[in-house]
Amino acid sequence: MQNIHHIGFRLALALLMLFCANITHAKQPELQVIANSSVNVTTLSESRVRWIFSMRQTTWEDGSAIKVYVLNKQDPAHQFFCKNVLSLFPYQLERTWNKLAYSGLGEKPILVNDSQEMIEMISQQPGAIGYILSNTLPPNTHVIRILKEG
Amino acid sequence: MIKSSIIFSFLIFSFTHSNVSSAGDVVWHGFGAQGIIQSSDSNFINDSGDVSLRLTEVGLNASYRINQKLRVSAQGIYINGGNRFDEGVRIDYLFLDYQLFNSNSWNVNAHLGRYKNYHWLYSATRDVPHTMPSIVLPQSSYFDAFRDVSLGSDGLSLTAQHLNSLGEWDVRLSHGSSRVKDKQTENLMSKLATGDLEHDFDTQFSVSFSPLNSGLSLGTSLLKTKFSYHASDNDVFNDGNARLTRIMLSLSYGAEYWDINAEAMHEKTEFTGLFPQGRDENGISQGLYIQGRYFIHPDVTLLARFDTFDANKDDRNGIQYQQNSGGTIPNYFAYRDQLTFGASWDFSTNWRVRAEYHKIDGRARLAPVFLPNTVTNDSQYWDIWALQIIYWF
Repeated sequence: MQNIHHIGFRLALALLMLFCANITHAKQPELQVIANSSVNVTTLSESRVRWIFSMRQTTWEDGSAIKVYVLNKQDPAHQFFCKNVLSLFPYQLERTWNKLAYSGLGEKPILVNDSQEMIEMISQQPGAIGYILSNTLPPNTHVIRILKEG
Repeated sequence: MIKSSIIFSFLIFSFTHSNVSSAGDVVWHGFGAQGIIQSSDSNFINDSGDVSLRLTEVGLNASYRINQKLRVSAQGIYINGGNRFDEGVRIDYLFLDYQLFNSNSWNVNAHLGRYKNYHWLYSATRDVPHTMPSIVLPQSSYFDAFRDVSLGSDGLSLTAQHLNSLGEWDVRLSHGSSRVKDKQTENLMSKLATGDLEHDFDTQFSVSFSPLNSGLSLGTSLLKTKFSYHASDNDVFNDGNARLTRIMLSLSYGAEYWDINAEAMHEKTEFTGLFPQGRDENGISQGLYIQGRYFIHPDVTLLARFDTFDANKDDRNGIQYQQNSGGTIPNYFAYRDQLTFGASWDFSTNWRVRAEYHKIDGRARLAPVFLPNTVTNDSQYWDIWALQIIYWF
């Protein structure tokens, strides 16, 4: 009998911990792809985001220039973005950008130092697109909803 | 003078720009690398076989956007690789990039001027050390003694990229020619070739395909090129020409902690004239390399590669080749099997140090290719080791 109480107590404790973990998880910042409010796009498929961050699309549908902003490859937000949004590993994206920048084929995205600078650039630069780990939306920006594929 | 300008500009930029920088619409990048290399029992690096510091690569490039459709792109480099290629300053590329079409599923560009060879896995940035997997590239496809003409040409290049429900496609077409320097002629034909070698044309076409979310990329490329030789007085070679047709297949697969890259080549060479006493050098050569990398830590990469090359697919062990030379050139000049191990460490932002060791069986494609140096290269087995430090911005 005492055993059942013991087990019951442990089970309740485990459930409580799971609940707490769930609450904690829900409060964690989420990765959001954001664009300057001048950008007319609100939804993109994963492959379209990859197409833009591989610097293959350089203009938005209205003909204005796309300005791509990225964080350092060691930044957790960049790593999460690469793996979960682009379905690429950071080294693969780096290789694509290097080929552009050192063979004349194109230009690399603009590297920012931290998420604060990312927010500032996306807010200020027309045509800008980037990503942040945050649940709040910076002024003068909007979220790009990502459609999962496969 | 030009050499000092490039190195001076590189130093100025590297100290004043720690990262990608843009002044107005101009974007600058650069790199610098110095190494130490030895191949004690061959003339691959130098004739003495001593440890050499002739492993230098410095470059500076700029991209200037005139408007949304038009861009000018240029890169100047200084390279020194000992006997491997011609030391000096050169314009690596300088072209006008016109964007013919850009949308959310197409990107089509035309390059007019000195464009890069975008057709092979590593040809576009061959002289940019931090973008290469190793110091010495797999010689079956990236043959040092023949490198200048495979770097790019003066002419027109078209590139198209397309995204559809199957995946991403890259299609490229280029046509042009390049200037063959005296050192390149010497590397191919030997010092006894006192005439003039000209690169008449070079046409390349390639397609690569990456299925959606697969990590895989498959490619194929075709190359057709022609060289003419105008013999001088007292030349051991005659007037003539050489036509080359190369077909390549490539495969790349990237996982989180490792990747694999492989390229296979099949190359047909047809000579008219050129060789004395009607020596027949026509043939089909084949090569393949398979390279694996393991990312043991975000900053540390290990590399292993097997590279094999046969100068004539109908004489893989070179017995016929040795007989045709009257026994003067050993059979091991007809093939080359190369095993490479390497490691690299990114010890600071934009800084890398790397080391590698190559063990080689056979000496095909050692310069000069047509009349090999059999005195220095007097054994079947040889090796190369190298250490290099790289900085880029």
